Amino acid sequence: MVELGIVDIREIVRIIKSVYNYDFSNYALTSFKYSLEKVIAQNGLMNAETLFRKLSEDSNFFDKFLDNILVPSTEMFRDPSLWRWLREDYFPSISPRHFENFKIWLPLCVSGAELYSLCILLKELNLLDSVKIIASVFSNESLTYIRSGKYPLKKLEVSIENYRRFQGNSNLENYYKLINNEAIRDTSLISNVEFIKDDITFNKAPQNVKLILFRNVMIYFNPTLQAQVLDKLNNCLSAAGNLIIGIKESIKGTNSANPVFEIVNENENIYKRKF
Amino acid sequence: MLLCLHRLKHVRSGFVEALSLKSNIPIEEPNDKDQLKPGRAYLAPANYHMYVELANRIALSTDAPVNHSRPSIDLSFITAANAYRDKLIGIILSGANRDGAFGLKTVADKGGLTIVQDPKECEVKTMTESAMQLTKVDYVYSTDEIIRFLSKIK
Repeated sequence: MVELGIVDIREIVRIIKSVYNYDFSNYALTSFKYSLEKVIAQNGLMNAETLFRKLSEDSNFFDKFLDNILVPSTEMFRDPSLWRWLREDYFPSISPRHFENFKIWLPLCVSGAELYSLCILLKELNLLDSVKIIASVFSNESLTYIRSGKYPLKKLEVSIENYRRFQGNSNLENYYKLINNEAIRDTSLISNVEFIKDDITFNKAPQNVKLILFRNVMIYFNPTLQAQVLDKLNNCLSAAGNLIIGIKESIKGTNSANPVFEIVNENENIYKRKF
Repeated sequence: MLLCLHRLKHVRSGFVEALSLKSNIPIEEPNDKDQLKPGRAYLAPANYHMYVELANRIALSTDAPVNHSRPSIDLSFITAANAYRDKLIGIILSGANRDGAFGLKTVADKGGLTIVQDPKECEVKTMTESAMQLTKVDYVYSTDEIIRFLSKIK
């Protein structure tokens, strides 16, 4: 495996910034380095210079690169207790008239595991047609993948277990088909989802969002970028809107003197915008 | 001190509490980007890889399992070796797959010290023997010897 040094990584960041105006300089270095080395291995590139050249010359390669660099969510219904909380506490607490213009935003979808899980949950609550789901993607490759419904078999087993622990009112098997040894998720689940192609600036973020689902994405950012992105998300939330982050993520350290979020559920890391 | 053990993905709590009963130093499952402090032990949380990041911080990752494992011992070793180089001691204990073997080699390659629990003493030998096949380790120790060694270095 090609090992990248800090100078190589800086050069990659520089090229991407100058050619595509996409800023990776505040990604967490360790995971970014690991992702870059995996891209080099997957594409059979000989060395760092080959990657520099491909990134400079080939915008299709860059789109695939973006999809590869962004780590996909692990499996569907990760942390079943969170999904149970959404079903049993969160959605029942919202009065039906508020579902009109009720926006849920997923700021960065790569494999669609969170998106499909959310849509299944909402379908089982008969809310899928009532709420507005907005999903941001950073690459065309991710969007094509999510729309295709494809899902790796090796992630399916854990997803089925997760769904069983979530105690949904069906079986996960009812939401996908096995075709040629590949799982294809039921794409009608996402037919009303609005997709936005955005980037790390989140300049196309929606406004007045009631719920943001953003689990295990900020772990790939350094503390500077984490603070910037949290600020951005805070501005997108409606008054008392909710933010859900991964159970081992933390928002401490950002504006701690004057907190902009308050904790709602400590076990599942659910926050509420302060107003 | 960083601890990485293969553990069930969906059991989030209980492990750190159980270890704490036996430990004289505080043990925690860190949050992403937590600062590492001396005199504490950090246990890789369920279903996350645990890396050592710049500036003595922890970084967590949900990247694909390595050797069927998340957390993966290889990834913890490799990232710690990159950060601490010859200031690192890597120890492999009893375990059931090859995870950790390549990581321990990286620890050695970067100048760190390597210790393997004596396979004779291990409940499952695969992990320790794989590590010894890949690296000429510095010490093969029984658990008592590992404890004595670690108490001496502070």
